[in-house]
Amino acid sequence: MDDPRDVPPVHAAEVQALRCADCARAESTDPTAVPVDRMPIPADALAGFPDGVPRARGMDRRAFLRNGILGVASIYAATRIDWTRAFEAAVAEAADPANQLVMIYLNGGLDGINVFVPNDPAEYAAYQAARPDLHRALNTPSVAGGRVGSTAAANANVSFANLVVSGTGNNGDTKGLDTLWGDGTGGAGSDLAYWPGVHFLPANQSHFEATDHIFTGSLRKVTTGWLGRWLDAYGSTSNPLQAVSIGNALSKQIRTASAPTCAVASLGNFGFSVSGVSSADADVNAEVGRLVGAPAGTEALARSRGVYGLTVNVAGQLRAVAAPGANPDYPASSLSDRLKTAATILAAGLGTRVVTIDWGSFDTHGGQAGGMDPQLPILSRALAAFRNDLAARGIEQRVITVVFTEFGRRVAENGSDGTDHGAGGPCIIIGSRVRGGMAGAHPSLTSLDRGNLRVTTDFRTIWGAIVGD
Amino acid sequence: MATARRRRARPRPRRRPVAAVRRVTRRIRRLALPPAPPFERRQMTVEMVERLFWRAGFGPSQGDRDRWTGRTLGETVDALLATPQGPLAGPAPARNDRPASPGLDPKADDADLVLTWLDRMIRVPNPLPERLAFFWHRHWATSRADVSPVQLMIRQNELFRRHADLGANPGADFRTLAHEVGEDPAMLRFLTGEANVKGRPNENYARELMELFCLGPLDPAGTPNYTEDDVRELARAMSGWRVDTANPDDPKSYFTASRWDGGVKTVLGQAGAFGLRDATDVVLSHPAHPGVLLRKLWSELVTGPPDDATLQDLVATYTATGRRIAPVLRKILTHPQLFDSLGEPSMIKPPIVYVAGAMRGMGVGVTDRVPYDRLNEMGQQPYFPPNVSGWEYGLAWLTTNTAIARWRFASYLVNRADVAPQDVPGETPDAAVDRAHAACGRPWLSAQSRVQILDYATRARVDTAGRRRARQLLLRAMIIAGPDGQVM
Repeated sequence: MDDPRDVPPVHAAEVQALRCADCARAESTDPTAVPVDRMPIPADALAGFPDGVPRARGMDRRAFLRNGILGVASIYAATRIDWTRAFEAAVAEAADPANQLVMIYLNGGLDGINVFVPNDPAEYAAYQAARPDLHRALNTPSVAGGRVGSTAAANANVSFANLVVSGTGNNGDTKGLDTLWGDGTGGAGSDLAYWPGVHFLPANQSHFEATDHIFTGSLRKVTTGWLGRWLDAYGSTSNPLQAVSIGNALSKQIRTASAPTCAVASLGNFGFSVSGVSSADADVNAEVGRLVGAPAGTEALARSRGVYGLTVNVAGQLRAVAAPGANPDYPASSLSDRLKTAATILAAGLGTRVVTIDWGSFDTHGGQAGGMDPQLPILSRALAAFRNDLAARGIEQRVITVVFTEFGRRVAENGSDGTDHGAGGPCIIIGSRVRGGMAGAHPSLTSLDRGNLRVTTDFRTIWGAIVGD
Repeated sequence: MATARRRRARPRPRRRPVAAVRRVTRRIRRLALPPAPPFERRQMTVEMVERLFWRAGFGPSQGDRDRWTGRTLGETVDALLATPQGPLAGPAPARNDRPASPGLDPKADDADLVLTWLDRMIRVPNPLPERLAFFWHRHWATSRADVSPVQLMIRQNELFRRHADLGANPGADFRTLAHEVGEDPAMLRFLTGEANVKGRPNENYARELMELFCLGPLDPAGTPNYTEDDVRELARAMSGWRVDTANPDDPKSYFTASRWDGGVKTVLGQAGAFGLRDATDVVLSHPAHPGVLLRKLWSELVTGPPDDATLQDLVATYTATGRRIAPVLRKILTHPQLFDSLGEPSMIKPPIVYVAGAMRGMGVGVTDRVPYDRLNEMGQQPYFPPNVSGWEYGLAWLTTNTAIARWRFASYLVNRADVAPQDVPGETPDAAVDRAHAACGRPWLSAQSRVQILDYATRARVDTAGRRRARQLLLRAMIIAGPDGQVM
């Protein structure tokens, strides 16, 4: 396969998604039309992307690259190499442990169109009509008539709600999603890619089904995560810090069949200790380590002993890593604390490939302005600060940050100043290797599917491209 | 003489065949002989008492072990089901970390709200109702994070307890529970039912009633149990309810006819001018409902799914008794599968069971807010489920981070002044391990782990009182919070 364009399109889900990105009115968004399941491992991802559709639709290479193939897009943006070399480089990169991925999941289903407001006149009119109470003002300073305004994103058909835009009247900081966006062309300084209509197809409006599909990368009830299966196939068999959930729980995304992964809530005192027992009395971690080796007959006991063994291992590795100090760049927030911990671990040379973070509360059925809006300045400031933090640590080049949610919200507001579950939701990817700008076509607000945005990108398209990277 | 002695000795192996032979013999007898006595007539071993009281409660006390070992399984389960919860025993809980107002005030402080429930779990004589109330909280997950005033949560908790105290309320049934939860002020607030108004439907509760509380999205064959249209129509039926918190200590829900969509709705193929209770009944009449609910109740208590015959039996019982809970719960608690692998526990303790169980085991009550903080780190803060689907149970409870949190909780427990170890100079390592095990209420400890712990006790320097204390503390922490302490 010298020229990847010659590879036949074997993955209907991706092809459908790309077709939709090409043409927002394509009928292929019928949620029942693409129940294709697959494991997003690199070979699949790479085999699936370069089909003939874009050419047939008269789309040039540049436009195709924007349509959601992060692995190649980032390489293209960085080096402007040709197709064949891009493909080879993507394969080579899959083996490069220097790539690091940060997955930030926003709980509850973020209302994408109230963050990235569609601003083509007909689209905005439809948006405003559907949301008499909740709409953002179009391209006005922050608060106009008590209403949050918006700022046009360069080279795009959306405007940022001012709550995510830098400035004292906006998110209150000198940086925000607008500064990451840059000129939106994908060149230098344009490091935020936005997908406006992402969902796992067929579009499921249940939080639990949708997140299950997204985290596992599968419509089937599988117990391992989409990244977990990648780690099982290509990851370390011994290093739990290769994939870290920052928090109390281990994300389903990095649940594996065999490869070790871990959850770390914070740094500084990770490990087993007992007050009243000094290090001269006993090496507590070592003593706990002696309790994990015996064979277990039940799955529960095997799990317990296994997890305790991993914990002793992680504690040994983290012993030398100091907790991050104060960093006024970040807003005061649990998201900031987790991102600081993530940056510290990513820079610590522990072989970490994947970090997951869950944050926020975006299931805004009622009182959306009071529930969602205060979280947006924090989100935008923290993401921008994280970017600076990584740069200061000299690792920004190798980190890609993905921010996603299970679905968007219904276009029309409900009677409780909120929005019910919808379909296509927002996804953004940040990093200097990311080709910034609009990464997928915006679904039309004048052509809804039962009141919901039509899905223009399947999560598997993005997931596949990421593991290809 | 010698021959005679040998002859007399010989029959012994026949009376005590090796375990495998005994199992086979028993199996053959079960197959071949007239009906074996039902499993519930089995006399309980101490291992069975252990298992039953961890699954149906928060671990056995020594009194439970003494009282129920040798009694039949059936009479023990009947006692758990038929005994009203009874008044709490022992000293009242306190917040000694807050000397100015050491009494618990659940209305003023969410930590106190959680600790008040934990205190009940620790001090209640019959633990089953509290355990079942927690199951209903897990099932109808409602979070204090989105519900104010807090009295709504307290009221909902009382509702769950009323339905869980099967001794006091033996006829408790799921249909009545579903009706009451649908009109419960906390639920109306949490799933925005109070904003569900004619012409402006809010689908939140309707969706979860089918997806999470009663049906599940798909049947076992993968066919959807309902459609998005059913969600929209069901939401119309549930409109019209509001919450009155004018007197926060007496929150009420009430129905306003003018806010109710009185038109004809078509839900799951049935058409009618349904209201909340009618529509709930329509959902409960869906053939998927009994199996979904009973599988969940089963897996709260038993490792591994029920086999088809067992599930059919549970469904038949549930249906025949008008969706009563006690009869199906009795079948589950007396089922042989609950007592599988008696020599090695087979379920991860949920954090709340771990915490309440460890405190019961040590014989200590709530004296400060630490258990509240540790529960949060373990991933299970009562009254604060992560979302409306409740907590995910099973192996996912244990991660590197929650293992640390469970350990930190034990470090706190063993250092409490009310259980400070006595100094015993000259105590043998073996005696030190036994004393630590007894102080923790004798939780399960594998033979291999005991060997390792004893090895530590032997290696530890114990030439000063401080070092002897350190040894006793670490022994206790390893017994409570080591890997063996996490399973039940």
